[in-house]
Amino acid sequence: MKGVALTGWCFLREQLRAPLTLVLLVVLPILFVVTASSALGDFSRALGGDARGEAATALAAGWASAFLAGAFGFFQTMSSHEADQRLALAGLGPAATAIARLSSALAMVATVTAAAFVALRLQQSVPHVAHTFLAIFAYACIYLAIGTAVGSIVRDPLAGSLMVVFIFLLDVFSGPGMSSGTSGLATVLSPSQKAGELLLAAGGRTSSSPGDWIGAGLSVAIAVTIALSVFWFAARRR
Amino acid sequence: MEDESANLSVAGRRSADARTDSVLVVTDVTRSFRHGLWPLGSSVRVLQGASLEIGPGELIGLVGENGSGKSTLMKIIVGMLAADAGTVEMRGTLGYCPQLPQLWEKLTVSEHLELFTNAYGLDRQRGRASTARLLEELDFLRYVDYRVESLSGGTRQKLNLALSMLHEPDLLLLDEPYAGFDWETYLSFWAMSEQRRAAGMAILVVSHLIGERERLTRTYTLRGGRCVPG
Repeated sequence: MKGVALTGWCFLREQLRAPLTLVLLVVLPILFVVTASSALGDFSRALGGDARGEAATALAAGWASAFLAGAFGFFQTMSSHEADQRLALAGLGPAATAIARLSSALAMVATVTAAAFVALRLQQSVPHVAHTFLAIFAYACIYLAIGTAVGSIVRDPLAGSLMVVFIFLLDVFSGPGMSSGTSGLATVLSPSQKAGELLLAAGGRTSSSPGDWIGAGLSVAIAVTIALSVFWFAARRR
Repeated sequence: MEDESANLSVAGRRSADARTDSVLVVTDVTRSFRHGLWPLGSSVRVLQGASLEIGPGELIGLVGENGSGKSTLMKIIVGMLAADAGTVEMRGTLGYCPQLPQLWEKLTVSEHLELFTNAYGLDRQRGRASTARLLEELDFLRYVDYRVESLSGGTRQKLNLALSMLHEPDLLLLDEPYAGFDWETYLSFWAMSEQRRAAGMAILVVSHLIGERERLTRTYTLRGGRCVPG
């Protein structure tokens, strides 16, 4: 456990030493929420969805954190794969390396979530603070896991980033608030479906049912478990 | 590398006639790589039954032309690549120095050494002693607080080598370890290797050069996917 903590702390320090990345992780969610949220309601209407006004703005915060977390997860995992695998084979083990890598990234993703939340707060009042923050964080965790899983097995930066973008777009256009129905394979497979429902409820100033919370928690748990498993698979001894 | 006190079988089979005192026994390893999209692509067989054996206190050279499969064989021994067939059996601890430095750009030299001290399971005292010795032997103590991104190619390679030797393994695999070294460091490298060999460490050095033959106990030449003695 001590070894995982030490490794995770080193990985976090590594990420904190990339100032441009840090600035982008803070600035981009704010810019997106401030500039794009007003257009999202119109976009939702055109697609047959029901996200309007404050709900659309809340959704924009979730998407911004999700996209940045996915891109961050992919690029940091892909670029450090060989060194991470070397460390795993040296004796730390693939599971411990995976936990260290993902936990350090989670700390970064919390920063993205905070930036998106602040941007949302600048746009509108947020009556359910914890509810809203956790919903945005759920989005970010799910996409961090997706980016990490893709980065563990895809070595080509272009191919990997296209995969993350494809999953994101499919999820966005079939997710809650942006589509007219709840049927269809894409809707069923939408990874952020439950997190989106939480966020729409928070944006619409209503509370979420325990079932929605459990569903969102399960979505995050499943995504993180898949990411850890794929990382372990890619870093294990053959 | 992880303690391999229980012998490791890459392909799930074991060689029954392996020498009991050998640190590494590689038997009939084959490996192919596929090029192009299936079913239109073709398959290239790089290793076609490669076998070699190393005992304690041996400094073995593995030479061969570019693309002959030396690094592929190394990766299979280490466990980074799976063999299509054949077995790899090891005893004791393993150290591996990859051909290209596998490091984190934004971590310092000391942070790398700390991470691997932890991964090898060395206690603080032994880790510090080993780190100090390697920094002195490879003469890069002054770079200990530098990030990898600001190091020259030669100094990166020194760190790459130091990480593989930090735990004084029973078997040390070096894939062209002196690429980028200046002459002084090159000589230091061979002095270090000879010192470790004399202490009982088994060392396998991969190179495409054969100029170091006089420094080696034995050599294998990788030709046609097989390891030929001499």
